[in-house]
Amino acid sequence: MSVATGVRSARLWRPRLNRRWLPVHAVLLAAGFVWVYPFLWAVGGSLRSQAGFIDEGLSLLPRELDWQNYVDAWTGASFSTYFLNSVVITACTVTGTLLLTSMAGYALARSSFPGKRIFLVVTVITLFLPRGYTIVPVYDLITRLHLLDTLWSVVVVQVAGGMVFNTFLFMGYFITIARELDEAAQVDGAGFNRIYWYVMLPLARPMIATLGLFSFISSWNDFFTPLVFTLGQPQLRTLPVGLYAFVSQTSTNWTALCAGSIITLAPIVLVFVFAQRHIIDAVAGAVKG
Amino acid sequence: MTTHLAATRQERLRARRRRGSLLARVGANRWSYVYLAPFTLLVAMFTIYPIIASLGYTLYQWNGIGSPTRYVGLQNFARVVHDPVQLLLALVLALVLNNPRLRFSTFYRAVYFIPAVISAAIIGVVFQLMLSNFGDSLSAALLRLHVIQRPVDWLGDPHAVLWIVIGIGIWNTLGYNLVYFLAGLQTIPAELYEAARIDGARAAAQFWHVTVPGLREIGMIILFLAVLYSLQVFDLVQVLTGGGPYYASEVVNTYIYHQAFGAGSFSGGGGGTLVQPNVGFASAASFFYGVLLLVITGVQALALRRIRQRRQQGARP
Repeated sequence: MSVATGVRSARLWRPRLNRRWLPVHAVLLAAGFVWVYPFLWAVGGSLRSQAGFIDEGLSLLPRELDWQNYVDAWTGASFSTYFLNSVVITACTVTGTLLLTSMAGYALARSSFPGKRIFLVVTVITLFLPRGYTIVPVYDLITRLHLLDTLWSVVVVQVAGGMVFNTFLFMGYFITIARELDEAAQVDGAGFNRIYWYVMLPLARPMIATLGLFSFISSWNDFFTPLVFTLGQPQLRTLPVGLYAFVSQTSTNWTALCAGSIITLAPIVLVFVFAQRHIIDAVAGAVKG
Repeated sequence: MTTHLAATRQERLRARRRRGSLLARVGANRWSYVYLAPFTLLVAMFTIYPIIASLGYTLYQWNGIGSPTRYVGLQNFARVVHDPVQLLLALVLALVLNNPRLRFSTFYRAVYFIPAVISAAIIGVVFQLMLSNFGDSLSAALLRLHVIQRPVDWLGDPHAVLWIVIGIGIWNTLGYNLVYFLAGLQTIPAELYEAARIDGARAAAQFWHVTVPGLREIGMIILFLAVLYSLQVFDLVQVLTGGGPYYASEVVNTYIYHQAFGAGSFSGGGGGTLVQPNVGFASAASFFYGVLLLVITGVQALALRRIRQRRQQGARP
């Protein structure tokens, strides 16, 4: 009895802020505010008039609201085109990555085909080779495949870039799934393909969610690949590349630049707000495992 | 990985005994090959081939003029300097946020993580605007406070620019190291702290005798990742300064990019450097840098193994 009330009172007492912690919270909140200040300032800047932008400097709240900047960025600076390109590229990259890496991960986890050992050894070696310094031959290859000046160039390079790592994650996940499940499906007459599609993929939903989130974030934010392949083609640029190009195109329209930044940032921030726990836990898991 | 490979070998031997001829086994596993075909094709084309090809470019197209290793060596290592600062900040913050009596720590964790999920292009634009000297700018505020004597052109001053870029780099990726350290702190069993308390250890003693040894291994991994990451930086530098002014903030990747694709009319902020495309030279620089990174990776992996071994020996009575 007394134990039960003890637990209850402890629970009642806990949610209240301990006064000793108030200074810690004050410091953490102040530093956190400084931490996200650049983004808050950009939101403010995107709503200022051009004169206000110069006068008001680093202050946060605009004195007068001006929504015209978003119109300028969206239509005038063709951020609508960039947005569409980003959506198409990100959607294709995420779908392609999830489909191809889950297929490869499934095959590696569930069958012992001749050549599997050497296959795994070569793949592991590529994980340790430094990437990103091979852009010249990759550019050459894309040219020879006649993919230059298409959105596909970016998609293909991005999907290829995430291939090995994601496949290993899927393989690891599929190995943990009990073999009895496929054997039961086999007894029911399901083959290799049906087991993949109807047994393994639905079971891998948590892994698909995690890898989907990460490939979404990295594809949307990617700067290097689309810079190399789309900078010279305004109608193919993604949002980050478009924003980068806009900096040099406009020497005065800073408020529209802020609006362009917010347009580029909004989808990621939305996703992050809803999935932050999932995203951060997955990042933590990467170093723990 | 090795245990898995061993398991694979046993599986193979068993399968061979069961099925007999190689051809029959290939036939029986035909769908596995189909499922692996896209993977194999993409990895072969975009990972393996480019590595071999860049060696080829280096050997045949680089005319030997210029010294690719010069740029590989010096300046960008200045960026690695920011790792200890960032790791220390992240560790302190992680220690505060890890306290189970602190409420809202998930919220704080998310706030400090935000810059890590934002595209470098946005960060570049926003900081260029914040650091530019028109109207009531940062320079004006610091002038009023008598911190500086005259307005500083933050991204245009060759002496200031590298430090500004480093500072923004710390801000940008601190979230990752914070989350890594938090994960590391959570792997230390609470019983160890309990035992230390019973033995009369105060907070400082607990930190030195429980937290630090508990974090040694994961701390090495974090350092390892941080060094590799900062040696591969491109986006932030390209959008903030384009490597300028006068190469003051050039890192290997921006250098390679400028060599391969040219630069000049097109660069953000502080003005780029006019370079004619020189593919052979770029490949040579990439190749040398790739080898260097591989060596650094190897050394770090060895160090990690030494620490692990020593730990296991220490654990033995």
